[in-house]
Amino acid sequence: MSYILLLILASLFCVFYLRHRVAPANKKRLTRSQENANLVKVLLELDADALADLFKLYRDQFGESAARYARNTYRKWKSGDVRPNKQTFQRLLINLPRVMNFGLKCEVLRELREAYCPRGEYDVTVSVDDWKSTLTPLVEEIVERATTAELPQSLQRRLTWLAEDDVTAANALLAESQARESRNAMTLLEKEFSNIEGLLDNAPRNTRVSHVLKLPLGSINVQIKRGSEDG
Amino acid sequence: MDDENDELVPQKQSLFPLTADDIVDNALQSLDEQQAREVTKKAADEVVRIAVEKRKGEYRSDRAQDEMRNLINNANLLDEKVGDYKINSTFETATGTTTVEIKKSKTNTTLIILGAVLILLLLTLFFLLVKW
Repeated sequence: MSYILLLILASLFCVFYLRHRVAPANKKRLTRSQENANLVKVLLELDADALADLFKLYRDQFGESAARYARNTYRKWKSGDVRPNKQTFQRLLINLPRVMNFGLKCEVLRELREAYCPRGEYDVTVSVDDWKSTLTPLVEEIVERATTAELPQSLQRRLTWLAEDDVTAANALLAESQARESRNAMTLLEKEFSNIEGLLDNAPRNTRVSHVLKLPLGSINVQIKRGSEDG
Repeated sequence: MDDENDELVPQKQSLFPLTADDIVDNALQSLDEQQAREVTKKAADEVVRIAVEKRKGEYRSDRAQDEMRNLINNANLLDEKVGDYKINSTFETATGTTTVEIKKSKTNTTLIILGAVLILLLLTLFFLLVKW
């Protein structure tokens, strides 16, 4: 009898141990339907003009009634209140890209790159005197990231249209465009730091300033101190 | 002998796999005329878009500068007239978001000074008692 009890206790312990070890791995893995819902959400981040083009194409391909349902439900898909079904996913991300014009395909690809390419996130502290020497290499790193960034293999396997020649050209175009945007940010920062310097020079002593530099494939959280002359 | 040497020398073949540039070049060469025209048009659109975004950014930056000036004026006024205050402001700028926090707390400072004096007094009293 005691052996049986011991056996039950041992098996209970094993089950408990295994569940606790396996649970975090399971939590991280998304189901196919969650992955689809996330992809639809990313697609719906398109700006207003591109979204209008998308729904027009949706109507042309799948009819007025399907388009009406999509137009009425897209906010719920976007917020996550309603999870799009497999058919919606396939229509939006498998079938439509095959008939999209190059411009719209580029916009969809831009959203996918921003959501799925690895991003650079940094936290730094700079002073108004030395910000450039600290931020320049980080921005360059993000620029490099933009030019070499690739969508995850798992995504490329699912959305096979990503391997087509025109999408490869679109990817190169967007990489160059995102790199330029990031370099432009460095030019614009000159004026912004001049504004911040003015603010710190004239504001009361207990003033703290921080700036989040947002770039297409990364962001830098900057804590800004007064210049060294001010102590 | 010559035949053996021929086999060892690679015939204009790189040992490395295709580079990203090669892939893009291949893709561009594979596009038909219509697709090539669309790529060229989109590239021109992107140049314009980036220029427009830059201009919009400069405008946001100018507006943020005005708002910062107002904030400094208000903070300096408060600094003269009020003992305790805290201001949190966020500005949308050309490159992101700037957050400014200004605070003054006389009550806390006074309490800290009082606390420090009290601790010093107690320590002095303690050492005096220990000596006696």
